[in-house]
Amino acid sequence: MSRPNASNSSAVSEELRPTAAAAKAREPMNVLIVGVGGQGVIMVSKALASLAQSKGFEVKQSEVHGMAKRGGTVFSHVRFGPQVWSPTIPKGEADILVALEWAEGLRWLAYLKPDSGIFICDTKRIVPPFACLNRRPGAPLRYSRETPAEVREHVAQAYAIDATRMAEELGNERAANVVLIGALSTALDFPAEDWEKSLAQFVPKKTIAVNLDAFRLGRSWIAEARTRVIEAEAPATRIPVPAESPYSVRLEITQEWCKSCDICVKLCPERCLRLNAERIVELAQPDKCTGCRLCELLCPDFAIRVHLDRVAARGAPA
Amino acid sequence: MSSTIVDSAAEFDVRDYLRKEMMPHFLCPGCGHGIALRALLWAVHELGMDKDKLAVVSGIGCAGRLSAYIDANTFHVTHGRPLAYATGLALARPDLHVVVITGDGDCLAIGGNHLIHACRRNLKLTCLMLNNEVYGMTGGQVSPTTSETRLTTTTPLGNSEPNFDACALAAAAGASFVGREVTHHVPKLKELIRAGLAHPGFAFVEVLSDCTEIFGRKNELGSSAEMVLRQKSELRPSAYRDTVNTPFRSNDLPTGVLSKRDRPEYGAAYRKAAAAQRADAAAKDGARTGKGEF
Amino acid sequence: MNAVDKLPAPGAALRLVSGNHACALGAVAAGCRFFAGYPITPSSEIAERLSRLLPQVGGVFVQMEDEIASIAAVIGASMGGVKALTATSGPGFSLKQENIGYAAGAEVPCVIVNVMRGGPSTGMPTRPSQSDIMQTRWGSHGDYPMIVLAPASVREIYTETVRAFDLAETFRTPVVLLYDQVIAQLTETVEFPDIGDDARAERKWASGPREAYQPYAANEDGIPAMSRPGGGYRVHTTGLTHSESGFPTQNPEAVARNLGRLLTKFERHRDVIDSWQALDCDDADVLIVAIGISARAATRALATARAKGVRLGLFRPVTLWPFPETALRAAAKTARAVLVPEMNAGQLELEVQRILGGKRVYAMHRYDGEPITPADIAARAQALAQETAI
Ligand SMILES: Cc1ncc(C[n+]2csc(CCOP(=O)(O)OP(=O)(O)O)c2C)c(N)n1
Ligand code: SF4
Ligand code: SF4
Ligand code: SF4
Ligand SMILES: [Mg+2]
Repeated sequence: MSRPNASNSSAVSEELRPTAAAAKAREPMNVLIVGVGGQGVIMVSKALASLAQSKGFEVKQSEVHGMAKRGGTVFSHVRFGPQVWSPTIPKGEADILVALEWAEGLRWLAYLKPDSGIFICDTKRIVPPFACLNRRPGAPLRYSRETPAEVREHVAQAYAIDATRMAEELGNERAANVVLIGALSTALDFPAEDWEKSLAQFVPKKTIAVNLDAFRLGRSWIAEARTRVIEAEAPATRIPVPAESPYSVRLEITQEWCKSCDICVKLCPERCLRLNAERIVELAQPDKCTGCRLCELLCPDFAIRVHLDRVAARGAPA
Repeated sequence: MSSTIVDSAAEFDVRDYLRKEMMPHFLCPGCGHGIALRALLWAVHELGMDKDKLAVVSGIGCAGRLSAYIDANTFHVTHGRPLAYATGLALARPDLHVVVITGDGDCLAIGGNHLIHACRRNLKLTCLMLNNEVYGMTGGQVSPTTSETRLTTTTPLGNSEPNFDACALAAAAGASFVGREVTHHVPKLKELIRAGLAHPGFAFVEVLSDCTEIFGRKNELGSSAEMVLRQKSELRPSAYRDTVNTPFRSNDLPTGVLSKRDRPEYGAAYRKAAAAQRADAAAKDGARTGKGEF
Repeated sequence: MNAVDKLPAPGAALRLVSGNHACALGAVAAGCRFFAGYPITPSSEIAERLSRLLPQVGGVFVQMEDEIASIAAVIGASMGGVKALTATSGPGFSLKQENIGYAAGAEVPCVIVNVMRGGPSTGMPTRPSQSDIMQTRWGSHGDYPMIVLAPASVREIYTETVRAFDLAETFRTPVVLLYDQVIAQLTETVEFPDIGDDARAERKWASGPREAYQPYAANEDGIPAMSRPGGGYRVHTTGLTHSESGFPTQNPEAVARNLGRLLTKFERHRDVIDSWQALDCDDADVLIVAIGISARAATRALATARAKGVRLGLFRPVTLWPFPETALRAAAKTARAVLVPEMNAGQLELEVQRILGGKRVYAMHRYDGEPITPADIAARAQALAQETAI
């Protein structure tokens, strides 16, 4: 099963602790927290922001959540330091990426500093709704094909934690985000007691005890992980991956029904549709189309039908 | 290793449920009602409902026009009255699956009385109210759900009438299933409608739809696509909202299944009582005949 | 169960029943299996009776939230293929008008009872009146055909209720049963006639392949066949002007053709639809034309006048709309004057004038909530006989 997976950098010296490093450089500390709606991303970011503020740092926290409730992407940028200008973290500038969901974590990896970024991620997999990462034909198969080991090759430090299960075992699945806060706390040099104080402000009164347990569990898990060798990857949470996508996408467009409203063009996640000279929809970039069906579902005039055609297996008789 | 794509949309071709000879439909470009129609038909498909046993009763308005495009038994009745027609139809023909399509004006203004009594009666019906905040069909007048300050052709100064929370109304009137969803979330909307269709009593489903051509234009809400996206950014899930204490605003509406209650279904209850009465009468009659009455 | 709510054995029972009660019994006998209504004096007894009778025969009774909902539910039930009835009085009848027009336009059979009471508005709920004669014909907007039956006795309420259903079903139309408060609440001894249990009219149902079926095809008799939901035809019914396909159209030719058929669909069936009573008309010097309670008073007046040697005749349209004009013309052949006694400010009079052209038509109006008496009619008719004597 998905036992805690150890980091590939077994020792993290005090010098390398990002807070200290950042402060030294008078650069802000950049923490990016991502997940999907309903997981508690904002709570993590609030706990961190409030703690940093109480320590005298200037804090900027920006978030997007209204856009993506229940199942859509939610992310929050927390930046703190002696002085912070911009509220958002540019690509490649995050010191720490905390992901409450595996695929979301992968989506944001590019934001981490390539050589020193720390990736803390729940192995929890929420198959995203129709407009998420999950795009190519045969899409669900492609969900987070990368294994934690593969991810680790690209990241300075990576921790893949089965936080949701750990929280479940504590009796409250919703405390998974706090397990991750526990993990995060080890990467920043704020005292544990202060973390706990900050946390208590942001969780419901009745759940303070379980959340503190979750926090401590997250911390101890990291401590343990740092001293353990890498184990075999746990395949159980993985969705079977075929060698190649067995489908090709074809759009059937009923031109006479299209009323040029542009909804499909604007909402296609791949931006591969356009209106032609007669202002009738057409697939401008077939190679980009993933068959996500968003256009089909949202066309008020039923003018698009997405077909996922099964591709004959290679070598099979024609 | 088997590799199946879990994709209910793949098996569902909306055209199988449309009267194709009637297409393209008469709605304006980008009108949200078309998306709502797809969600309904998708739910019908998923439930494996027999088109012959499906009866769609709709009122007057752009929403009301949708029935004409559905390959089923369809009844386009008078303004505000589809629930009353449907009540007669469903009582007379319990073997049919009766669905009502109505607009915000149709359902809440002229038809408000029928709505509250349909909720109270709890006859098995599914009422799909397409709320676009406006009287679309008649050119954009204020409706009972128009948000405050919105411009319509009859509120040139901005609407100053408070608007209805139709779901709260339906729940208060006793509807045993109440839910709301936006057209943007087609699969979720389909799920909600499906739950409503499967519900064994009166189900009220409000669909937040966009009148792009009239309401959108008048209020400078941007293109159809922008209006759809606005649904995404302006609506909050019910989980985060205290429905009792938060005043109603159209951009702060709870969505999902909002109320569900276990109440006796009216038609079944009536038929049961009638059958008992008949059995009783037959017993008495038998006794009398026994005495040799001729 | 109340003893009174027994269904009469056809042809047998001699019973003392009220007009409204007879209406309820007639409806059940005619095969009505759905009633939706809203209480209003003086029609409520019909609903009360049916609330007990219908469940006995597997039918449904429902009290709706208002009269609009009631007629709507009735049309809905009928669209489902079930014979349906609603009953009301003036204020409620006004509310039903839009949907009566729907039933007429979409050609959905149904029966509407209007027990007339004094008006306008709330008027005199417990007093009789005959002031809805024109409303029954022209109450809804637009051009549409209408059948209105005007029984004048309890027994006739029973038989006309049955006939109302038969006509509604046969010709796919709403039929109004129109009578006044006096007859509605009058209790008479009635011998229920044998209405021929199995000979009840059923609407013409669609048959044949779906592709060949047109929901509003003219057919040879001008009456389209109706499809039953669940029968595989899956048609569209709308109050919008439609073509033979049932779908809306504004094509002038299609509109003229289809609306034209609708407006004239009763014409070639007048032999079945028209119904009247002509009493002593063959040699009448003065012809009285009246309906309902006024006609009953006139019957009495006829007898008194004849006894005095004054030749009065009575023409009583039982089918009030379409008005049996041929029969009226025939009945009026010998009449030098025509007298129309009616409990309103002049409605039937207008139709009689229209039909009888050159004849001298006189009216007797009363709208104070009191019926016109036989003595009043006799006196006026005798005076007319004298005035117009050659
Ligand atoms: C008795 C009656 N009154 C008024 C109208 C005119 N009318 C037609 S549709 C409509 C409003 C429809 O608004 P809504 O129900 O919100 O539907 P939408 O067009 O917005 O989908 C009105 C007032 C009518 N047809 N019948
Ligand atoms: S959403 Fe439909 S109608 Fe609108 S542009 Fe696209 S295909 Fe055409
Ligand atoms: S064209 Fe349609 S199916 Fe293809 S990616 Fe765009 S929205 Fe998805
Ligand atoms: S007027 Fe508005 S509601 Fe009606 S079809 Fe056009 S966009 Fe849709
Ligand atoms: Mg509307």
